[in-house]
Amino acid sequence: MRLSALLLGPVLLVNLLTFLAPVLNLASLSFNEARPGGGIGPGPTLATWADLLADPYYLELVTSSVGVAAMVTVGTLLAGYPLALFIHRASARWRNLLMVACISPLLVSAVVRTYGWMVILGDNGIVAAALRWLGMAKPPRMVFNLTGVAIALVEILMPTMILCLLAGFGRLNVALEEAAASLGAPPWRVLLRVVLPLSMPGVLLGCLLAFVLTVSSFITPKLLGGGRVILLATEIYDQAIVTLNWPVAAALSVLSLAVFGAALLLYGRILRIVEA
Amino acid sequence: MASSGTRLTLEALSKRYGDGPPAVAAVSLDVAPGEFIGLLGPSGCGKTTTLRMIGGLTPSTSGRVMVGGRDVTTLPPHKRDMGIVFQSYALFPHMDVAANVAFGLEMRGLKRADIAGKVAQALDLVQLGALAHRRPRELSGGQQQRVALARALVIEPAILLLDEPLSNLDAKLREEMRAEIHDIQKRLGITTIFVTHDQAEALAMCDRIAVMEKGRVAQLGTPHDIYEHPASEFVADFVGRSNRIAAEAGADGVIRLGEHRVRSAAPVPAGPVTVMIRPHRVGFDGAEGDGWNICPGVVRRVTYVGDMLACEVEVGGGIVVVERPTQPGTALPAVGDGVRVSWRVSDTLVFPR
Repeated sequence: MRLSALLLGPVLLVNLLTFLAPVLNLASLSFNEARPGGGIGPGPTLATWADLLADPYYLELVTSSVGVAAMVTVGTLLAGYPLALFIHRASARWRNLLMVACISPLLVSAVVRTYGWMVILGDNGIVAAALRWLGMAKPPRMVFNLTGVAIALVEILMPTMILCLLAGFGRLNVALEEAAASLGAPPWRVLLRVVLPLSMPGVLLGCLLAFVLTVSSFITPKLLGGGRVILLATEIYDQAIVTLNWPVAAALSVLSLAVFGAALLLYGRILRIVEA
Repeated sequence: MASSGTRLTLEALSKRYGDGPPAVAAVSLDVAPGEFIGLLGPSGCGKTTTLRMIGGLTPSTSGRVMVGGRDVTTLPPHKRDMGIVFQSYALFPHMDVAANVAFGLEMRGLKRADIAGKVAQALDLVQLGALAHRRPRELSGGQQQRVALARALVIEPAILLLDEPLSNLDAKLREEMRAEIHDIQKRLGITTIFVTHDQAEALAMCDRIAVMEKGRVAQLGTPHDIYEHPASEFVADFVGRSNRIAAEAGADGVIRLGEHRVRSAAPVPAGPVTVMIRPHRVGFDGAEGDGWNICPGVVRRVTYVGDMLACEVEVGGGIVVVERPTQPGTALPAVGDGVRVSWRVSDTLVFPR
C-alpha cells in the first residue's frame, strides 16, 4: 500500500503543478474585478459572477451548449454503434485492420478535418453539387451554421466513441444472442433486449466523452460555425482574446467545469443502475 | 407443461467448412416422439455441429431437418420452436432468474399474468422457486444449470437440445443432475437430443445413443446394444473400458493370441485382428467348459482401488487387465504369480486391424 502510494507520487506532483494549480488560479481570477482594456483589478469581488448569473445570455449559452453537445453525442452514438458492433464481430485478423482504419482519423488534427468538411459541405462542395445533380434547385446551407458543426463534430468524435464502445463490449457473448434467438427472439429484439443492455457500459463511457469533448470543442464550431454557433468554449475564447475580459472568461471556464462535473455525476449514477 | 412429443428426423444432414473433410457427413437419424437420444463422441466428431444445425444456429451444407413432418432446414432459430441448454448455460447476466425464464414467454407475446404463473411453475419443476430474484452470477453452477433448463422448458418447445449440459459441474452434482434431467424429460415426454463426450452419462440417461466418429454415426442403438455389441473397434474403445490385444485370426475362425488359441461367438475375419475384452468380464476362477476362453499368464502389476482390484496380467505377449470386486478374506494375487485368466467366448469382441 505504501509502495503503491509512492509510485503514484510523480503523477500526483505533475498534476498538482500543471492542472490543479492553474484551475485554482482560474477560479480565483473569476473573483477579481474586470477593468476596461484587459486590466485585472483587485479582489475578491462577486461582481463578475453576479453579472454572469443575472444575464440571460449566459444561461442560454450554457443550455444551448448542453443541447448541442447532447445532439452531437446522440448522433455520434448512432453512427458509431453499428460500426463498433461490426468490428467487434469481425474475425481477429479483420478486427485489427478495421480498428486501425477507424482510429486513423485521430492522426489528423481537428483543424485539418474541419477544413476538409468546409470543402465537402461548402456551397460549391461535393454534397451540394450532388444534390444539385439530383435535381435540387437550392441545396440547404451546410456551412457556417449548426448543421455543418454537428456533422463535422460527429465525424471527429467517432473514433473516440468507437474505442469506448469496443472497450465496453466485453460482456457481449454470441451464446447469449443464440440463446435469445432459440427462445423466439427475432434479431431486432435480440439487439434491444440482450446486445444493447449488455453494451451499456461502453455506450455510457462513449457518450460521456463525446459530450465533454463537444462542450469543450473550439476549433470546429469556430471555423464551421461562422460565428453563428456559440458554445461555452468559443465564448471563453472570445472573452479572453477578443473582449479581453479575463474574469468573465475565468468564470465561464469554472461554469463549464461544473457542467462536466454534472455529466460525470450523471454517468456514475446511470452506470450504477445499469450494472446493478 | 406436459408435452406430447414431436418426431424429429434428420435426412443426410451435412456440414462442410471450406475444402476440408466434412464436419458432419450425411447424418440421418429418426427420433421418435418423446425419445431421449444421445450424440456421443470425442471432441471434433461433429456432435455439437449436428446439434447446432438442428437448432438452426449453424446453417447446414446439405440435408434436411424435419420436425413433426415439417421441413425446418432453412428456418432461423427463433422460428424453430426448440429449447436449447448451452454448455455455458448462456443465462442473461442483466436479468434475474425469473426474467431469464420469462424471456421466451415474452417473445411469444403472452400476457403478464400468464407469464408469472408459468415461470413459477417452471422454477418449481427445477426446485428453484426461492431464488427467482437472484442474478445468475449469484447462483452456483448447478443452480445456473437448472435455470437454463427451466428457461428452455418453459416455452414448451417441440424439441429439447442439450449441449454438454453437465460438463461444467463437479462429479457429485453431475450425477444428481443426470437423474434429475432424465426424470424431467420422461415426465414431460419431450423429444430430446443430448450431446456429450461422457460415455457413462450417455449410457445412464439415453434411450438410444448415436456414437459419432469423424462426422459420421459409427453406431446407433440402445445403451445395452452399444456396450455389449459395439459395431467397431472405435465404439468398443470409446464406450466403456476395454483390453485391446493384437492377435491373428485364421481362416478356421480360431484366434491366435501369442501361443494361445481363443474363440469368439461372432464370425471372425481372417487376418490381423484386435481382440477386445471388458476388464470386469475377465476372472481368475478358471471356469471350465465350452463357453470360456482360458489362458495362462503372469501377474505384472496389482492396483488396489478400494472397491476393486485391477491386475495387469501378461497373456500371450499382450497385457490383459482383470478387474475384480474386492471381498473380505480373498487373497490378493502378487506380482510374478502365474495365474489362469478366463472370459466368456461371447464376451470376446474381435475387429479386423
